[in-house]
Amino acid sequence: MAEDGKNKNPEIVGFACSYCTFKASEMAGSLRLKYPDGVRLIQVPCSSRVDPAFVIKAIFEGADGVFVAGCHPGDCHFIKGNYFTRRKIAALKEMLDAFKLKDKLRLFWVSAAEARRFIDKVTTMYNEIKERENVREKA
Amino acid sequence: MSGKKLKNGAIEEALNRFLKENETSRLVIGFEDNESGVCLRAFKGHVEHYSLFCPVFSINNTLHIRRLFSKGTKIILMLRPCEIRAYVELIKLTQIEREDIIAVSIDCPGTASSKDKIDAIPLEAKELVEYFTKNDKMRWACKTCRERRGIVGDAGIRIGQDGSAWAVSYNNKGDEFLSLIDGESEEINTGMLLVESKKMDKFQSEMDRFQEDFSKCIMCKNCRDMCPVCYCIDCVFNGDEYLPKGDALLNRIMRSGTVQLPQGKELFHFIRMYHVSQTCVGCGACEEACPQGIPLTKYFKGISERLQSMFSYMSGRSFEESIPYLTFIEDELKDAED
Repeated sequence: MAEDGKNKNPEIVGFACSYCTFKASEMAGSLRLKYPDGVRLIQVPCSSRVDPAFVIKAIFEGADGVFVAGCHPGDCHFIKGNYFTRRKIAALKEMLDAFKLKDKLRLFWVSAAEARRFIDKVTTMYNEIKERENVREKA
Repeated sequence: MSGKKLKNGAIEEALNRFLKENETSRLVIGFEDNESGVCLRAFKGHVEHYSLFCPVFSINNTLHIRRLFSKGTKIILMLRPCEIRAYVELIKLTQIEREDIIAVSIDCPGTASSKDKIDAIPLEAKELVEYFTKNDKMRWACKTCRERRGIVGDAGIRIGQDGSAWAVSYNNKGDEFLSLIDGESEEINTGMLLVESKKMDKFQSEMDRFQEDFSKCIMCKNCRDMCPVCYCIDCVFNGDEYLPKGDALLNRIMRSGTVQLPQGKELFHFIRMYHVSQTCVGCGACEEACPQGIPLTKYFKGISERLQSMFSYMSGRSFEESIPYLTFIEDELKDAED
């Protein structure tokens, strides 16, 4: 809970594929790399396990941003799961775009070896959302 | 395009011939014109007072045959194009067994809402078109219809500019339907009364407008129940996970603070909007079922057209096209990643 007067810290919900992105986040931990506290990872067996309903639920129950992250297309542990994710999330983005909510959702491809890329992506997203929220608060 | 010309009463004759062949296992589902107005009937044994058109839309009639899996009873469906499109989508979703059903779509000049007061509406195609141009009774969903021509399903009944009716077949089952009708198949020379619909502008809205429109929502979920393609038996909104009630609601409020009640309007409509996005046929049954008069069609149709155009898909256009979320192409959507 943010206190008044202080800059609010955004909360980001991330759905991370247990074979790639979640492994990358574990590796980031063992490398002592830091990513913002507001990022909450949810481990899913495959990025295609993420029903867009989860994302919509997260957005309307208070998350400032949501990301879905999985293996690079073609590298899915279940062979073609992330191709379906790509279609589903691209369509969901288009739908959120129709309501001008597009900046709340992101899709990342992070493999198990790309700990630095994971940190980079997540931190960029966090900072961008934080900046936007602060601008909105001032206005 | 070739088809059989339908004389006056020819269609009723053909349907009666179909039913007479085997009285115990034949059914025709179509519209009947009786004293109280036009309504949908499942005819067994004999067809009487058959009407091609039903100018008042109350529900999408495919809803009745959802989860129809029995084989052995031959059924002819004589419905509007939007209803046949919903039927095609339900076949793709394995919610209907296609084997013994012949789906015939009939050119639709538009429909009026069952909520409006309507007096003396004609039942002929040309007069109906005139009727709807003269007044503003046509539903918004019909004004923006994507396919009002009977070119979907197994066979179609098309209306020519001179008011003549033609039966056209699109596949083997359609041929079976045409064989019931007297006369020879001939080339159709006249132009058609209904032409291809205009494309709608890309849908764009914003949250403020959405909240304003849906502020009246009472969460009765009628729109879900009356939607022909919202087919899940175990809907996510039935439990306490998405829309908590009672104890679960109390827990939620204690955990996360003040909420407006009924809670979860955006959640419910957004998730439903996404779930039906590729299969929505834009029939407007949700709006018709809404007791609060929320312009649901505007949102559901707008979003579904926008999302379907991403994959150059149109719901119910053909039996062969796969629903976009159930298939993929390896080399596409390069800019999906952020």
